[in-house]
Amino acid sequence: MNSPLLCPRCKATLTEAEVNRAELTPCHSCGAPLQVEVYPALFRRVTPGRDGEALVVEDEASCFYHPQKKAVVPCDACGRFLCALCDCELHGEHFCPGCLETGKRKGRIKRLENERTLYDSIALALATFPLLIFYFTVVTAPMALFVAFRYWNAPRSIVHRTKIRLVLAIILASLQVGGWAVAIFFLTTRAGSHG
Amino acid sequence: MAEREYVRLTHTRSRSVFGIVSTARSNLWLGIDHVLCIETTGYTETYKRFYYRDIQALIIRKTESWKILAAILGLVAALFGLIALFGGDPIVAWIFGSLGGLFLLGAIIDLAAGPSCACYLRTAVQVEEVPSLIRVRRARKALERLRPLLAEAQGRLAGDELASRFREWMAAETGAAPGGAAAPVMAAEDPNAPPRVMP
Repeated sequence: MNSPLLCPRCKATLTEAEVNRAELTPCHSCGAPLQVEVYPALFRRVTPGRDGEALVVEDEASCFYHPQKKAVVPCDACGRFLCALCDCELHGEHFCPGCLETGKRKGRIKRLENERTLYDSIALALATFPLLIFYFTVVTAPMALFVAFRYWNAPRSIVHRTKIRLVLAIILASLQVGGWAVAIFFLTTRAGSHG
Repeated sequence: MAEREYVRLTHTRSRSVFGIVSTARSNLWLGIDHVLCIETTGYTETYKRFYYRDIQALIIRKTESWKILAAILGLVAALFGLIALFGGDPIVAWIFGSLGGLFLLGAIIDLAAGPSCACYLRTAVQVEEVPSLIRVRRARKALERLRPLLAEAQGRLAGDELASRFREWMAAETGAAPGGAAAPVMAAEDPNAPPRVMP
């Protein structure tokens, strides 16, 4: 991007007087109190992407995707040779576009993962919220148990998170299922004794 | 015990000062080489990573929403207080008195948290609002923790050096020579410029 530094409110270009001040400084255009800190990365030039180099000698290793281009690096995931154009570098590792896409889709490259489902929260919600209208628990308690056991080993949040929600969901849902079982048993035995 | 990959930078916050009832929440974590912004709906989490070496600027803009929120909470508390005082019935007085007290407590907490703000993080390709930093005090604390990590990743520039680099950068961005008139740039001189019809 490397566009000018703008005031987030009025989009006026900020000046040197408004940058790297210890206190809030009013924007020269709209007067919004701002504290702007800039870092050396702002002054770094964006390097243009590289092109693949054409093969000069016939028996040189060539790119898997572009046979006419010289290979510069193998993919760290599949080992295919890649030219400079196909080489996707990710923090020191080199991937081909296919492996990068697969890694993102299947969650193999953690750094590319941008969404997770919190099955432990879902299980706990299924075990607790329906208690407000107790009759729903006849359906939701087995569902909570299913989710808790099915996704016991599924990855939870990317940051540290214990299994306490899953454990609580299993305990609560088991109690609800047990309660229903006892209730049904008493109802059937009472009906049997009256009959 | 294995060392944890992320350290918490901010607590989970609603996406706005008025988002008390909203389930969309956000928080920030410090990783080895990046800041992780987690936005959660309660059942899913979305991650955004900002690498220390890529962060160009952090902008805090003070807003007035904390005053508006405190005024609204205070007014509601006063209204309930009046109903409690002049309602007559002791049960009504207790109910509305308790509700008024809750709203008053909310107003006090809001005022104690200090001025609200919007915080933006700029990289080479985006300017992203950071929803979990909505108070000036908290944003500054987060900034204090981020500063050494950014300096480690990008290096540190002295105050006057930073100022001169900023001047040069501004001059380059606006196309004006520092202290002089803007030099005309011909599109044909730029080998990366896309084809265009010149006026």
